[in-house]
Amino acid sequence: MDITLAVSAMKVVGYGLGAIGPGIGIGIAAYGCCVATARQPELAGRIFTDFIIGAAMAEALALIGFVLTFIF
Amino acid sequence: MDPISALNDGVEELRQSFDPTLVIGPFTQYTLWMVIVFVILLALILPAARKVSVVPKPGFGLSNLIEYGYSYVCHEMGENAIGRGYERHIPFLATLFFYILIANFLGLVPGFKTSTGSVHVTWALSIISFIYFNYYGIKCRGGWGYVKSIAPSGLPAPLVPIIWFFELISLCIRVLTLAVRLYGNMFAGHMVLGVFALATSVFIQSAIVNMSFVTALPSIGWFALLFAMYALETLFAWLQAYVFTVLSAVYVGLATSPSH
Repeated sequence: MDITLAVSAMKVVGYGLGAIGPGIGIGIAAYGCCVATARQPELAGRIFTDFIIGAAMAEALALIGFVLTFIF
Repeated sequence: MDPISALNDGVEELRQSFDPTLVIGPFTQYTLWMVIVFVILLALILPAARKVSVVPKPGFGLSNLIEYGYSYVCHEMGENAIGRGYERHIPFLATLFFYILIANFLGLVPGFKTSTGSVHVTWALSIISFIYFNYYGIKCRGGWGYVKSIAPSGLPAPLVPIIWFFELISLCIRVLTLAVRLYGNMFAGHMVLGVFALATSVFIQSAIVNMSFVTALPSIGWFALLFAMYALETLFAWLQAYVFTVLSAVYVGLATSPSH
């Protein structure tokens, strides 16, 4: 197989593997956000802001993986 | 004509149409769309801002709409994320929000491009946001106070340098994540829309060329996918503008709030 093609394929597979963890993390965060909002609807705005912060931190890992596919 | 090879050619053409170095007139294409967004933004906001009144009048629909958007940024984003002293950051946040929102929605019109689908534009936006919250952090606490405040207070003394170092990395990585999140979502989303639209048209074309009705059947499925993705992208266009603005507000809040 062509070596550059293999490298590009490995990049995509590597990004896919790197996206598993943040995916699970954001899922858990969204679950917590929904449950908390259902229990205390009057705090929905603040809970959602906190959810966005947490999701941004988890998502940073996936985005680093995304950038690495461009760099290497 | 074979639909699969036509699809391959089409994808190559699609990829070239997203090339940021493509020049239209005096600008590259994404700069052109950026300027168009600025013009639309000015044309919407300036007349609306002139007619702002305390009591909303009927017949000033646009003015009321802009006012609603501004107060949405003010309360949902600014007040929740920044806390006390949020008023002076609202003009910056509203500018970011409206620019990204209009750019994202403009990209959904067929034939148009979103300027946030270029990594250069989103880097510029995120660097502006980065400089803004660092500037206000230093202004609020002083230089050394801001450097110390990167590590959260109340830690045991031996842990402070380690945590400070990790927090510094997370602070510096914000500029990357802000830029790449917006760029990745917009670019990949529009690429997916393009590929689905291409697949729809390729099967119809090959059915017309080959005079066989059966060949066109897969395009019904592709069109359904395109329709669903379009709805999702409409949500994402709003969501990414919201997330970018809220995260900027949160970073400003973290940099300036006294409790942290």
